[in-house]
Amino acid sequence: MDFTVPVPNVLGERLSGQDVRDQNVMACQAVANIVKSSLGPAGLDKMLIDDIGDVTITNDGATVLKMLDVEHPAAKILVGLSQLQDREVGDGTTSVVIVAGELLKRANDLVKSRMHPTLVISGFRLAMREACRFIKEKLAIEIDKLGRECLINCAKTSIASKMIGSESDFFAKLVTEAVLAVKTMSAEGVVRYPIKSINILKFHGESVKDSYLLDGYALNIGRSAQGMPTRVAPARIACLHFNLQRTKMQMGIQVSVTDPRALKKICQREADITKERIGKLLEAGANVVLTSKGIDDMSLKYFVEAGVIALRRVPKDDLRHVSKATAATMVSTFANMEGEETFDSSFLGYADEVVETSIAGCDVVLLKGTKNTNAVSLILRGANDFMLEEMERSLRDALHTVKSTLESNLVVAGGGAVEAALSMHLERLATSLESREQLAVAEFAESLMIIPKVLAVNAAKDATDLVSALRSCYHPTQVGADEQHLSSMGLDLSRGVVRNSFEAGVIEPAINKVKIMQFATEAAITILRIDDMIKLVGDRQEYEEE
Amino acid sequence: MAAVTAAPPARSGGASSSKTESYVDTKRREDVRQANIQAARAVADAVRTSLGPKGMDKMIASASGEVIITNDGATILNKMEVLQPAAKMLVELSRSQDAAAGDGTTTVVVLAGAFLAACQSLLSRGIHPTTISDAIHKSCAKAVDILQSMSVPLELSDRESLVKSAATSLNSKVVSQYSSLLAPLAVDSVLSVVDPARPDLVDLRDIKIVKKLGGTVDDTELVKGLVFDKKVSHSAGGPGRVENAKIAVIQFQISPPKTDIEQSIVVSDYTQMDRILKEERNYILGIIKKIKATGCNVLLIQKSILRDAVTDLSLHYLAKAKILVIKDVERDDIEFVTKTLNCLPIANVEHFREEKLGFADCVEEVSVGDGKIVKITGIKEMGKTTTVLVRGSNQLMIDEAERSLHDALCVVRCLVNKKFLIAGGGAPEIELSRQLGAWSKELRGMESYCVKEFAESLEVIPYTLAENAGLNPVVIVTELRNRHAQGEINAGINVRKGQITNILEENVVQPLLVSTSAVTLATECVRMILKIDDIVTVR
Repeated sequence: MDFTVPVPNVLGERLSGQDVRDQNVMACQAVANIVKSSLGPAGLDKMLIDDIGDVTITNDGATVLKMLDVEHPAAKILVGLSQLQDREVGDGTTSVVIVAGELLKRANDLVKSRMHPTLVISGFRLAMREACRFIKEKLAIEIDKLGRECLINCAKTSIASKMIGSESDFFAKLVTEAVLAVKTMSAEGVVRYPIKSINILKFHGESVKDSYLLDGYALNIGRSAQGMPTRVAPARIACLHFNLQRTKMQMGIQVSVTDPRALKKICQREADITKERIGKLLEAGANVVLTSKGIDDMSLKYFVEAGVIALRRVPKDDLRHVSKATAATMVSTFANMEGEETFDSSFLGYADEVVETSIAGCDVVLLKGTKNTNAVSLILRGANDFMLEEMERSLRDALHTVKSTLESNLVVAGGGAVEAALSMHLERLATSLESREQLAVAEFAESLMIIPKVLAVNAAKDATDLVSALRSCYHPTQVGADEQHLSSMGLDLSRGVVRNSFEAGVIEPAINKVKIMQFATEAAITILRIDDMIKLVGDRQEYEEE
Repeated sequence: MAAVTAAPPARSGGASSSKTESYVDTKRREDVRQANIQAARAVADAVRTSLGPKGMDKMIASASGEVIITNDGATILNKMEVLQPAAKMLVELSRSQDAAAGDGTTTVVVLAGAFLAACQSLLSRGIHPTTISDAIHKSCAKAVDILQSMSVPLELSDRESLVKSAATSLNSKVVSQYSSLLAPLAVDSVLSVVDPARPDLVDLRDIKIVKKLGGTVDDTELVKGLVFDKKVSHSAGGPGRVENAKIAVIQFQISPPKTDIEQSIVVSDYTQMDRILKEERNYILGIIKKIKATGCNVLLIQKSILRDAVTDLSLHYLAKAKILVIKDVERDDIEFVTKTLNCLPIANVEHFREEKLGFADCVEEVSVGDGKIVKITGIKEMGKTTTVLVRGSNQLMIDEAERSLHDALCVVRCLVNKKFLIAGGGAPEIELSRQLGAWSKELRGMESYCVKEFAESLEVIPYTLAENAGLNPVVIVTELRNRHAQGEINAGINVRKGQITNILEENVVQPLLVSTSAVTLATECVRMILKIDDIVTVR
């Protein structure tokens, strides 16, 4: 059988076979190399400048990759991978890309040494399944055994690799408290931690350590008029979703009057419609009014007279959280079933105290002691915008980590411990395999060691020395009957020695590691399966002219 | 098989052709045919590597930067913009296989390529194209007979066999690892839309595939009811879950009527302002009271470009009446929705009557991944429709999962239409090759020669399967031939184990229709290409 036929005439570029695999792997490696240096507690940050000159400083893998304008389709898969990890578990976005890059590199070497890609793929899949099983059954430890201390440690591990790593103790406590505060039970009795209801506010000035957790919800807007009181207690809160401005007729309605006195009455009526609405609000007993739309000066006057705090142009998300926290109903119109306008006092929400304070020169309205206390605010302080932005990202990662720890209930040791344990385990597995997948499983095992290696390199330690010391810990002869010992030896990057990560408090949620394995393998397989790439050209005109 | 060394693709330029009308340049005709065959074979070669369970994927980046990863032959060829007219015929070929059988789109193209190669070698020996064409036609008819005699009849109640054939189709896709989940799903959804009155007809439009980003393909599910990839409109605090739902599908809007462009309402007195405001409220309230009076508590509103489907005010009233609202239902979906709910669309509020409503046990908004969907379950007297909710971690994966699921659905549909199964794994092709080869010896003359070539070219399928699986194709194909010669007609390539086994026992089965239509369509296409002897460009 003979298949030496020329490639078909196709509009655009076409690459196939080993060429396309090489190109894809190279592109993915390039992406992985970009984030490599930001892995781990000693990782460094990236400064990203976009086309309008905005600067972002970060060491979060997902953020870096999102801002890069990657064009190569295979590299895009890797970027998507880190985005996915960010959405699903929130942390480990750098690790997943590095592991995927390393897997691809080794797979490509195998293919080059005349091993069929499908064999490599099935070997990788086998190794991935075994790795996930091993993490869940052997390495993971239930959180109930470790207590609250463990949550703080998880948060600390996540924060340690960020810009605010030096204050990890402080922030870990803050984050853990915040997550525990928003604990809610759903109707079916499932405990959930909706970290979306943690409001993060950023203010310039003071030191990072002056950040604090605020019980209640903080709105980053001042009251609408100076005449209003700064404090109302107890507060009855109305959440509105319409304008409190002079009523305007709809489009298509014309006002045509012949008598100038009638005109005045019409003007009067326009104002009165709004006045009546405000009257109904006040009658129902509201003393704090929040609206997502505007309030004009005329209407403000009535609120000032009644001693009510009114806030206008409240962002819709904030309004939704406030109504959830205070049990208020968001009202979009006053109309009732009889076609009249009324406002029922059952629409009001409650808080012990609503007070306006100023933080760093900004007016902030705080809602304290809300009826359903499931909203808290983190007030962040810092030297400049870049710092605050990065702090927010780091804390969001940490919040995710604590949340997934609480919800999955399983933790594993950090500092490269899991990777080293898995690597040694899979290596043993590989030697027991008879089929041709053996090589692929062995390479998979070898690729996992990239994590401790990069950790050591980033900390300016002797990677070869440290990694071999780490590996020796997991050798069968070293592992005694004590299973605990098996899963906890990791790297101490500040001193450059191997130590028990569990005892040092370096822990991560197990789900994080499982997802890294799954996602990285999936991505590597997706790219490996491609043996042909066709780039289409849009401009047909160009070809017709030729 | 005779090695076919391709003659250089000599594309005759217009200038070199004859100037006088009487002179007929037969040399050029030969060239046109060769060029056509070359181009078509090149297309077949492009998709060859994605055949079979261990086939590779293609990555196609369109001009707009959109990336598709697929191994579905029809999709690849559709996206590739081939220029040569004959090559385009092969693209069409895979499309018609897609329409006829839905699966085997790669197989048909690879087969056509192999047939063309055979033709090339026959042509080079001076056999006339018409003779070749007729011989191929005869052997094709014979091949269909052989396939039919190999097939195993199937009962629709035999769910297991149906699942097996759907799994065979899915195993060759990117989502192969999920075949154990998707195969039963495809079977169940097709079986649930089979109309007992007309058991041979399946309309795949009765199966709606809803794609939602987030989760993994594992979360894909079959929903007995309806799924909307939309949020419930509850900005005014309306319900998100309704039990014992009475559902109305309306095609009118609940918003104040707009005046025509040339007309306007004139206000000349302040009391009229109040009246306008009040009239608007009463107008909407009137509609909603009529709706409420029928006991309706779920409202599906068709998308309208003329007016807002709902306003803040009407949403507020609907929330007060405890009516769940889903707005912007696409016009194209209305037929499916009403069929499923067994209700009638309501075009005007005056026609809003209880007998037009549909009933369901539960309508609820469920949050999945990033967004939310609305599910309607437990529909009473539900029409013969079904919905599949496809999930996936990224858009590429979801799209490919949808394509694969479509193929699997087609496979099951084929089985419903023509209730016969045949072994997969290259078994039918090698058996065809053997039997046609034997038959060719009974024939005389040129025909015998052509049938023999045709028979041999069918071996391309097992050869490619073995090659793609990383096995040694020559060893595998010769062993396969040997086993078939000894009478094991169901011996095929077991790609997973890398050896020859009885493929029926391994549960690798496919519908007869896929195989027969692949052979017939490929033959027809080849005959057409063969008969072309000139290309005239018309401006």
